[in-house]
Amino acid sequence: MPLELVNSKVVKSTLAPGQNVLARKGAMLYYTGDVHFIPHSMGGAASGMPSMGGVAGMAGRMMSGEHVAMMAAEGQGEVFYGHAGLYVEVIHLDGSSMLTVEADRLLVHDGYLQSSIVALTSQGGVRGAVRGAMTGQGLFTTQLTGQGSVAVLSHGGAIPLQVGPQHPQVVVDPQAYVCHIGNISVDISANVGWRDAVGRGSGEAIQLKMTGTGTVWVQASEQKF
Amino acid sequence: MGLEIHTPYTLPVNDNVPGNDYAFCVELDGQPWFTSKGAMIAYYGNVRFEPLGQTSMPAIVAARFSSPLYSNDWVLAQGQGKLILGDRGFNINSYDLDDGNLTIRASNLLAFQPTLDLKQSIVPGFLTLLGTGKFLASSNGPVMFAEPPLRIDPEALVGWADCPSPSHHFDAGWMQNFLGAARGFLGANSGEERQFDFTGAGTVLIQSSEKVLDDGHLLRHIESQTVTLGQNSLRALHNTIGSQLQQ
Repeated sequence: MPLELVNSKVVKSTLAPGQNVLARKGAMLYYTGDVHFIPHSMGGAASGMPSMGGVAGMAGRMMSGEHVAMMAAEGQGEVFYGHAGLYVEVIHLDGSSMLTVEADRLLVHDGYLQSSIVALTSQGGVRGAVRGAMTGQGLFTTQLTGQGSVAVLSHGGAIPLQVGPQHPQVVVDPQAYVCHIGNISVDISANVGWRDAVGRGSGEAIQLKMTGTGTVWVQASEQKF
Repeated sequence: MGLEIHTPYTLPVNDNVPGNDYAFCVELDGQPWFTSKGAMIAYYGNVRFEPLGQTSMPAIVAARFSSPLYSNDWVLAQGQGKLILGDRGFNINSYDLDDGNLTIRASNLLAFQPTLDLKQSIVPGFLTLLGTGKFLASSNGPVMFAEPPLRIDPEALVGWADCPSPSHHFDAGWMQNFLGAARGFLGANSGEERQFDFTGAGTVLIQSSEKVLDDGHLLRHIESQTVTLGQNSLRALHNTIGSQLQQ
């Protein structure tokens, strides 16, 4: 059952028996019908991600348990989700590509999507970790695969930007980055000079360079949450 | 898109400022309005804001505003002119009550006409409006109207009209979990174990939840309740607060 936007800040999911929906804990606004909520620890090492080691998966679980706990909704009815007045964007996955999103920004997704928490180090080696540390992003991001829909949070709304084939590269501000889908590799482009070191830089020294084919969502704000 | 500059003549009468859901224009023409303190952004004309304690219309305040707990948060706006109100960048809407009743979260009520009676709700942090008239409410995101039966996150609740019998509901799944139960008793709930349950005829007003709860109202409500507690209860409360502060 796809997620449906009610207004710019609220998303509705229709539950049928035997299905479940995973959401950020505490993000339920209201529901009708017979629905139960169960705490859910996000699986670190999903079967779809054979490359992710058990250790990274477990660490991911622990990190996510610490940071963004998820809960599953089961039963029959309609559940409405929203969080802290942030804007919600619904993205439909057709099964062909993978969505990468920071766990903080994940609001709801269909329970039958496969999710895995990925250490950035396994994505881009040391550079990935450096990117995480320097951009203030977590060291772990969530990857979702399968067919279904995902709702992500943004401050002030998210804008989709196409990457490739005509536009091979998009550079985004790490604070404005929301999520990306498709075959995109993310690289940090640090342009830190002595001006930044003394606090007189342009403020745009660290950027994320996205290359490949797919879509990147950015928000019109530099607020992290 | 041209830049539109407003004048007292182009500003609407009791409607949102054109193209802006976050600001609302009220026309004052002799009849006063109760407005929440700090809600005024700008005004045209000759408008006075009087604290409820020293107003020139004590009879209206005495008859309509029976909520001493909140009297410091409200002023009486009177005079002639156009008054623009706003609140935290929230969406603002006006509602008409016709011989009805509506209970609303105190921090979401922005202004109301003195043809309405304001009472303090039994539910902490909420106010009840009775009678006929207009009031303004702010909400984080557009307000959703839903009909019971439903259950709602306490933070997302803006208010309810008529009488859908509000009660607490605790999700059994969370309560069976020992940690969930402990958290529930300590009041440090981060999940969905605690919900408000609405059944019966009426309408429930819902917003996308607000993160920063304005707990000033709630605090005063709790403080006002402590006078009914005995020595032992006060001591127990003291201990609970102490252990929560240490967390």
